[in-house]
Amino acid sequence: MIPWDKLHGAITHFPIALLLFSTACDFVSITLKKLPFARELRLVSLYALAIAALASLGAVISGIALSKGDMWGRGDFGWHHRFVWPAFGLLVALAVWRLVVREATSRFGLCVYLCLMCLAAGLIAAAGYFGGELLLSGGGVP
Amino acid sequence: MMTPLEIKGAMAAVITSAVILVATFTAGGIYRNRYETETQPATEPLTPEKLAAKGRSFFFQSCAHCHGQDADGGEDAPSLRKLQISGAHMALVIRSGIKGEMPSFAKKYNEQDVTAIVAYLKTLR
Repeated sequence: MIPWDKLHGAITHFPIALLLFSTACDFVSITLKKLPFARELRLVSLYALAIAALASLGAVISGIALSKGDMWGRGDFGWHHRFVWPAFGLLVALAVWRLVVREATSRFGLCVYLCLMCLAAGLIAAAGYFGGELLLSGGGVP
Repeated sequence: MMTPLEIKGAMAAVITSAVILVATFTAGGIYRNRYETETQPATEPLTPEKLAAKGRSFFFQSCAHCHGQDADGGEDAPSLRKLQISGAHMALVIRSGIKGEMPSFAKKYNEQDVTAIVAYLKTLR
């Protein structure tokens, strides 16, 4: 029998960490354009985002297996899902957009992208928070 | 404004994201249905009252010494009355336990047993 709880706990950290890292890399590379490695930093953020999107598939699959297909729920479980699904959709969309556009971004496109990256980072951090609450505090068990 | 490549990328992103989300929810729904079908007892199904009674006996075997005989909570364990979490979530906590606080009961109780415990806990709401 596959230990979905352990697998989910292990995999979920990759999309969370990599998305936050990718967002940070983007901001550093854009705000400090004169850095000698700014371009490389953008490349790192691209790959971090792509890997985060791939890892999020694993996290979602293991999460569905763990919850026996319960896609919403109540309490912390419900809040976890309320943040997870938009974060997952946004993460996949941002990764696809970035992989298509690569470095050929306009100023407007880059601004929208960065705003959405911040939103996705916030959503995934909140999802991670409520996921942690489920594990460590019994997930709303008073 | 956005370049044609960016617009193309945005369309690809929206379509991919929508397809993946729809596939995820469809797969989750199918899995949920299959799980519920498989956990249905082959014999005559227990009435909710009998299921809760069965769950109550499991509760006294494994839960009451920490959570209290009437589930009001003990020194180290919280009250289980008026839980505001879903049945699936209760089952998840029973199966997985809580790190450093509550053991996993996945090996001790099968899915039907866990369902019975959840049915009993729901009567305490």
